[in-house]
Amino acid sequence: MAGLSLRSIHKSYGALPVIKGVNLSIDNGEFVVFVGPSGCGKSTLLRMIAGLEDISSGELHIGDKLCNEVEPRDRGIAMVFQSYALYPHMSVYDNVGFGLKLARTPKDERDRKIREAARILKMEHLLERKPGQLSGGQRQRVAIGRAIVRQPEVFLFDEPLSNLDAALRVDMRMEIAKLHKELGTTMIYVTHDQVEAMTLADKIVVLDGGVVQQVGSPIELYQRPANLFVAGFIGSPKMNFVPVWADKVEADRVTVSGEDVINLTVETDGKAIGPGDQLTLGIRPHDLVPSSTGSIVGRVVLVERLGNETIVSLELPSGVNWLAVLGGDQPLKPGESLALAANASKANLFSSDGTAVKP
Amino acid sequence: MRSRASVIGGMVALGISFLVFVIPFAFIILMTFKDKRQASLLDFSWPASFNLWDNLVTVISTRNWMLVTAFVNSTILTVASVTLLVVFGAMVGFVLARRTTRWNPLVEFLILAGLMIPPAVVPTIWLLQGLKLFGTLYGMILVEVAYNLPFTIILYRAFIATIPRDLDEAAIIDGARPLDVFFRVILPLLWPVTVTNIVVQSVGIFNDFTNPLYYLPGNANATVQLTLYNFQSQFNTAYNLLFTNIALITIPPLIVFLFFNRQIVAGMTAGAVKG
Repeated sequence: MAGLSLRSIHKSYGALPVIKGVNLSIDNGEFVVFVGPSGCGKSTLLRMIAGLEDISSGELHIGDKLCNEVEPRDRGIAMVFQSYALYPHMSVYDNVGFGLKLARTPKDERDRKIREAARILKMEHLLERKPGQLSGGQRQRVAIGRAIVRQPEVFLFDEPLSNLDAALRVDMRMEIAKLHKELGTTMIYVTHDQVEAMTLADKIVVLDGGVVQQVGSPIELYQRPANLFVAGFIGSPKMNFVPVWADKVEADRVTVSGEDVINLTVETDGKAIGPGDQLTLGIRPHDLVPSSTGSIVGRVVLVERLGNETIVSLELPSGVNWLAVLGGDQPLKPGESLALAANASKANLFSSDGTAVKP
Repeated sequence: MRSRASVIGGMVALGISFLVFVIPFAFIILMTFKDKRQASLLDFSWPASFNLWDNLVTVISTRNWMLVTAFVNSTILTVASVTLLVVFGAMVGFVLARRTTRWNPLVEFLILAGLMIPPAVVPTIWLLQGLKLFGTLYGMILVEVAYNLPFTIILYRAFIATIPRDLDEAAIIDGARPLDVFFRVILPLLWPVTVTNIVVQSVGIFNDFTNPLYYLPGNANATVQLTLYNFQSQFNTAYNLLFTNIALITIPPLIVFLFFNRQIVAGMTAGAVKG
């Protein structure tokens, strides 16, 4: 069992930098999720930890060992690939036992470990089959089994569920969470699906453009995003933004106004803001409530009535589109005018450089 | 219902195939039964007498059992060359498909050059003599490998490019060293191409006439194709024996085809619908 520490990790392909200085420490037994849009470098970072990509500069420690130049097989890691990467010509039994065979594990010990892994993953009945005879979910199970049997110090998952259908994905997600609880091993999981990130992670690392945007627990990221990128990326539907300026600044609250907002009070640290500063206001669609005295007024463009909630698409006076998720069934019609109030403690303010104003 | 044109077209195709493939084969078989006098007429007629056994004995025992020596030599030559071709072709194809370096264009040019530039016989003999390999089976094996390697590499490389890199990486994480990755993971997956290569190259090398003629002189070194000259001369050719010889040396390639035919077809469809 081991934690990891990444110190100022860089990666570039020729002159093109892909990872621009990542510092991260992961504790023993933590479930860490790397999340970000396509091309943000999350998979590259994982592959560098696995040893499949060279580290251009910086230090990677797994446990207490500096692992920059260590071969993947000696790093104490196991990896599950998006495409499962099962060996098509081997039975499930041989697939799971391939690593042990290469390590020259005695036959009876190998057999015991393979059957143990199969028991944990409930796939004893599949051992004699070839990967081609398995469904997507079963293949994923075998791929995880192949990782378990190596008894790694760190599990690496590279978008393991993205090839599965929606229902199976939910099941496998729960199984992975259960597996983490059972084994207690450090796990690093790459995904672009924020639901997976929110449900599985002890700690989420949001990446964009090869830079870590924020590291924190799922709820922390949701409630207190560090910048505009994280605010827009985490949460579904995504956070609404609108440009405003500071009207009245007090120690623990700021009143903002703008073309689309009239005198909205936000609970935040007023010390960093001067009156008249240009800011961006961010409010989640779930934090808006209809109110005749509301400070945000827009024209209803589209109404999606789901029964338990109503998703309203609004056009604000400046032309910005916002979403509001209102509780219950709201009999609204396109073209109507709707006034909304925002919860002052849940609104976020971002300064002109995109970083959040701390509450 | 099929149209009349397609039925006629099918008949014509069948007729042409019959003419091209079956008639010559039937001619060979008929000739093996004839005696020397009837065979020299070179006509398509039913044998007047049954001489198959006599012809066989004569062909096999001619020139101190040369055909037996030739079969041994050809078998060694074919098996050794094809083995080396498969191993080296797959290895080079693997490296070319997986690793991009600035040498790749040069290597690809050399492979194409190997396919396009006709082999120069005299310099090759000079080189073989310098290496003390001229007139030996080893030298001949090396020549066959050199001549056929480019084609083998091209076949393998195209196929290896379709095998996902994830498999290599999974094996590396599982602790496989480069040779393990190749021999335990990649090579077994190349079976369809390997079969194609075995068939194409072994038939080609077994039936090779000119290269053994140039590079492998001497009675002890004869290969099967060269034994055909035993029954042919400027003024006198024993056609019944010549055709018996032809029939005998056609058998091994035929067996190779029969043995691997199903697998070639299976391999091709497996590649086509791979999910």
